[in-house]
Amino acid sequence: MSRAGALRSGLAALAIVALFLVPRISGNEYFLALGVSFATFAVLATGLNLVYGYTGLLSFAQVGFFGIGAYTAVLLVLERDWSVLAGALAGGTLAAAVGLVIGYSSLRLSRHAFAIVSLSFALLCMLVARDWVSLTRGAMGIPGLPTPTLSLPGVGAWRLARPADFYYLLLSFAVVAHALVYLVVTSRLGRAMRAVKLNEALAQSQGVNPLAYKLLTIGLSALLAGMVGGFFVFYLTIVDPSIFDFYYTETMLIMVIMGGPGSFWGVLLSAAVLSAVPDLLRFTTDLRMVLYGVALIAVMLIVPGGLGGWLERRRLARWRRPRAASS
Amino acid sequence: MAPPPAPPVLLEVRGLTKRYLGLTAVDDLSFSVESGAIVGIIGPNGSGKSTTVDCLSGFTPADHGRWFLEGRELSGRSPSAIARAGLIRTFQNVRAYDEMTLLDNLCVASQESDGVGWLEALGRTAGLRRAEAAARERGGALLASVGLSEYAEAPAAVLSYGQRKLLSIAASMMARPKLIVLDEPVAGVNPTLIRGIDAVIRALNAQGVSFIIIEHNVEFVMSLCRRVIVLESGARIADGPPALIRSDPRVLAAYLGKTRASELAGGRG
Repeated sequence: MSRAGALRSGLAALAIVALFLVPRISGNEYFLALGVSFATFAVLATGLNLVYGYTGLLSFAQVGFFGIGAYTAVLLVLERDWSVLAGALAGGTLAAAVGLVIGYSSLRLSRHAFAIVSLSFALLCMLVARDWVSLTRGAMGIPGLPTPTLSLPGVGAWRLARPADFYYLLLSFAVVAHALVYLVVTSRLGRAMRAVKLNEALAQSQGVNPLAYKLLTIGLSALLAGMVGGFFVFYLTIVDPSIFDFYYTETMLIMVIMGGPGSFWGVLLSAAVLSAVPDLLRFTTDLRMVLYGVALIAVMLIVPGGLGGWLERRRLARWRRPRAASS
Repeated sequence: MAPPPAPPVLLEVRGLTKRYLGLTAVDDLSFSVESGAIVGIIGPNGSGKSTTVDCLSGFTPADHGRWFLEGRELSGRSPSAIARAGLIRTFQNVRAYDEMTLLDNLCVASQESDGVGWLEALGRTAGLRRAEAAARERGGALLASVGLSEYAEAPAAVLSYGQRKLLSIAASMMARPKLIVLDEPVAGVNPTLIRGIDAVIRALNAQGVSFIIIEHNVEFVMSLCRRVIVLESGARIADGPPALIRSDPRVLAAYLGKTRASELAGGRG
């Protein structure tokens, strides 16, 4: 491993340990709430980054997968007595299956068709949640979700009663999810995905089947979004159609664009920063999305490509300098 | 003396046809390419050269016709499947993965053909590490052969236009294809680099790779290819060694225009 790589994994390990120690140092519920929000959004944004940043597919469907996971987990836990873990896993699996179906059907046309279909899909999810009253209980949703209990092998039953418990649960899942995505994007599968994004025809001419890689990223990101939805919803204690709110999509997109599409660490970092910012801006809830918009435009003007794009340009400049000097 | 046995047929094209609305871009084109050959395809603008490449490589669906590589049917298959079967094409408007290093540009080009699956790639198995090490070694050697070694770890965006053409030829070699179709490999390239590209193609051909070369630069094709096919309006109007092509009156008329043709024929003869 290179020195930069060793440094990075050291820092990542340190950050994970520090995050897990937070509840022990301070039981402050405000910090824990921020932490839960960070863990949830980090998973959603990294999933979107996988689809948009690596294979170049603009997707609005993440929030649909998130909500499908949430509803599925809640219904299975309440009506079938499933455990939260099994419910979230089922929710993620269903979301992935749905993702593969809409991906396969629309990507045969074009990546633009996929963007439009993903947007329609997210809107459709909200309509179904509102109008399929016999299943989802309609616009009022299902309030007062029970305190879930996880039965963990070796540990026994873990009742998620305190905010700290949800913090541990979502943080653990976020670590697992990010490890999985990291494993994929740093493997040569990630290289083929970037090839598809950078030049799809060239990739095809070299034997890369773009559809297979696109479906892999859609399926994996849908699985993770659905699972995190299945966990997060028990922290909210209510599931209603607002789980499909466009606010989630906007936040995810901003995190990915500011962090730099295709930059694993950049997006993770911007998810951390932007999870804290909305609460800092809480005094001006109405203006929040406006400020987001302004920040987004500023990023696109000043550092197009976000944090990751800025690092990339520095790398390019390093190679261009000696060339310019020698010629 | 008995003639030497003909080399085996590598590519066989039968009745390739492609129409765009009223225009027939490729009109019932049939030809075959022998193993080890460098075949040039020339023709005036709009004669169907590029459409032929696009059809053979699967990027444009053909209306009629079948084609086979070493007897295996390629017609109707996807571009990536055709590439994995051993027919690799390059593009007129050179393409590269700008943000990737040159070495990564090359490694992508062979990763779908080395038989290492997704799970092995995720698990970083010994088989994967061997395959990747082999790809990097071959990539390094190919970069050396096209004179781009010093940029192996640089992003492809730093390359000049001509260097990108060299990179694309090197990339086309990575998966050890049976046949490489180069679409205008020297268009817009300076004379020094043209000689470099000529040398690279000859060297690779000496290693047993067959080429089809689509070009506007007639001199380049005439000096490099032992056989030239001339297209006009999507049909083959001549096929043979360069010397014969040069003096074929139909070719001169079609390709160079009737008045210029008589001048050139006079000047050369």
